[in-house]
Amino acid sequence: MNPKDLLSQLTRLEHTLNDFSFEELTAAEAAHLKNSFQTFRVSLENKIFTPSSSIGSPTEIDIREDSTSKNLKKNNIQSPNADMLVAKVSHEIRTPLNGIIGFADLLKEDKLSKIQLERVNAIQTASYSLMEIINELLEYSKLSAGLEQFESVDFNLNSVVDNVMYLCDTLITDKNVELLATIDDEVPVGLIGDPSKLSQILLNLVGNAVKFVEEGSIHLSIELKKQRGNQIFLTFSITDTGIGISKNNLEHIFDSYKQAEYDTQAKYGGSGLGLSIVKQIIDNLGGDISVDSKLGEGTTFRFMLPYKKGSIENIVKRDSTISINSDELMAVKGLRILVFEDNVINQKLIAQRLKSWQCKTYVTDNALYGLNLLETNQIDMVLMDLKMPEMSGFEVTQLIRKSKIESVKQIPVIAVSADFTAQDREKCLQHKINDFILKPYSPDELLTKLVKHKNRMKTTLTFESQTINPAMEVYSDATKINLSIILEDCLGQMDLLEELVLLYKQNALEFIGIVKLNLDNEDLEEVAFAAHKIKSGLAMMQSKSLYTIVEQIQKICKTNGDRKHLNFLHNCFVEEYPLVEKAIDEQIKALKNR
Amino acid sequence: MGKKRLLLAEDDELLAGLLNFRLEKGGYEVKLSSDGREVKEHLTTYSPDLIISDIMMPYFSGMELIDYVRKELNLSTPIIIISSAGNEENVLTAFELGANDFISKPISPSELLVRIERELQKV
Repeated sequence: MNPKDLLSQLTRLEHTLNDFSFEELTAAEAAHLKNSFQTFRVSLENKIFTPSSSIGSPTEIDIREDSTSKNLKKNNIQSPNADMLVAKVSHEIRTPLNGIIGFADLLKEDKLSKIQLERVNAIQTASYSLMEIINELLEYSKLSAGLEQFESVDFNLNSVVDNVMYLCDTLITDKNVELLATIDDEVPVGLIGDPSKLSQILLNLVGNAVKFVEEGSIHLSIELKKQRGNQIFLTFSITDTGIGISKNNLEHIFDSYKQAEYDTQAKYGGSGLGLSIVKQIIDNLGGDISVDSKLGEGTTFRFMLPYKKGSIENIVKRDSTISINSDELMAVKGLRILVFEDNVINQKLIAQRLKSWQCKTYVTDNALYGLNLLETNQIDMVLMDLKMPEMSGFEVTQLIRKSKIESVKQIPVIAVSADFTAQDREKCLQHKINDFILKPYSPDELLTKLVKHKNRMKTTLTFESQTINPAMEVYSDATKINLSIILEDCLGQMDLLEELVLLYKQNALEFIGIVKLNLDNEDLEEVAFAAHKIKSGLAMMQSKSLYTIVEQIQKICKTNGDRKHLNFLHNCFVEEYPLVEKAIDEQIKALKNR
Repeated sequence: MGKKRLLLAEDDELLAGLLNFRLEKGGYEVKLSSDGREVKEHLTTYSPDLIISDIMMPYFSGMELIDYVRKELNLSTPIIIISSAGNEENVLTAFELGANDFISKPISPSELLVRIERELQKV
């Protein structure tokens, strides 16, 4: 069996697994299943793609590069090993290149003479275009080696198109070009598929059109080709009035390392891989692409992709469309945001968005560079893509939380992810990620999150109006905890109870930390708020002794704010908690054995 | 007839997790929000049959939410308020603003289900 077939089958299997309703499984079981499948896949890939000896020697690559011969017409004949080599090398080039870009950035902030500044800018421009080429190369090799993962999620077609159009519009500078998108009424708004791949395809094709059209129009139109049950086939066409492509060149247009003319390459730049990538993606998604063109008149790219019909409910959850509130816009103005994101399109999109809201934005996919930025610049907030190639968002956040600089350590981190599982949520808590936002998100969602954390940053939460009932019950000792009531509330589902207990433990540890910190900072409002927040969980888990302590903390914060007393109570909580935790664990054990 | 739709606004994950589970098991469709601003946002796209809201939430309290639903959106959607113990004064204000019922912490999910059903039957 061809290893690539095997891999694509595996990918399909993985998709099916993702789609599968885990309702009957517990979250932990499901996560475990997914994990073991991933491990299996990775080890299989390693077996298939481990270079045996000196495979992928330079000569092999040279052949590929120069060759226009017919036997290489299909670009996916290349051996997986060569692709792996390319992937590996590109990856390794990216790291130092990121360093170059980053330090050029830093250099720019020093006082430079005009000529020095020009030179630094030149370094940056060159590095950026090199980076773009490497990214394309990396992506292409990943695609043709079948390593690229495809998503299958609910998404809103309109918002994908809107985003692409928004970005392409920013590419049109002082040209008289009209950009137009029409989506046929028959096309359902909610689809299931891979939205980021679709935006990549569209951005590439529409973006290309923008490059090649000096004057005239670019029209994206989307139509329903056919519908079979849940299966939906969409036809996308991008028509431009650009310079067109000669018949000769049209034949090879989707081949790798082929751009219309060499002088075109010189004029428009790029690695020439764009269209090959597009074709690879479309092939992998089970669609097809074709092109029509007449020199001097224009070009039409037409492609078909299969989707499943999505449910409207899921989309509402993902992106609610509300108009942007001008108060919110004012609130985020001037906010300094560092974005960790490896996908080039998303990088552009978010940079553009944030810029339009007048935020100061830094974008990187390099952990060390990002950390350096955080420690040397005033930054208010971090947006963190969880899935990055070299270091995951979790790991980067962990590094941030370990920073020696207090303001860096405390910075709000908002995770961004397309696929947010329950396991991720736990991991977020563990890694002290403050919030998350699901991809693809609407601008409003992003804005709301930014405002939310900006407010939290300033701890403007008002905490008043709550009257404390001084008549407290005298609670019995901590070590007797009865969880059977809450288990009943969980309808006897042990796994749910265990999940809640896990959350409870995290909350308690978090509480200990937050209170300590805010006592040191003399921020009693925050202490009181933390106390309020944890109370219902303590009550739920019958932790009466802790509850009593917390209630007293709350009361003192609101009355005399006696620091000594608060410190004492905090110590009580710290001492009492392990006993309670032990009691809870014992209860769980007992309930399980029942 | 489809499932009745509930909007649950609760910033305590622990409680929210449990209630969400029970409400869904109880046959409701539940949209969960962890802060008031999000609730406000949800209300522009989602029209629940009933709203359950904690009285204390970041940015937009349960009180403000009631006021917003009644005065600005002009909706008569039943609202059940979750209050902390010893917060009776606020509960009174909540009723004045137009809340339909309240339940205090610690919450019994079964009691909440009964209260929800009762409110829905009144409509």
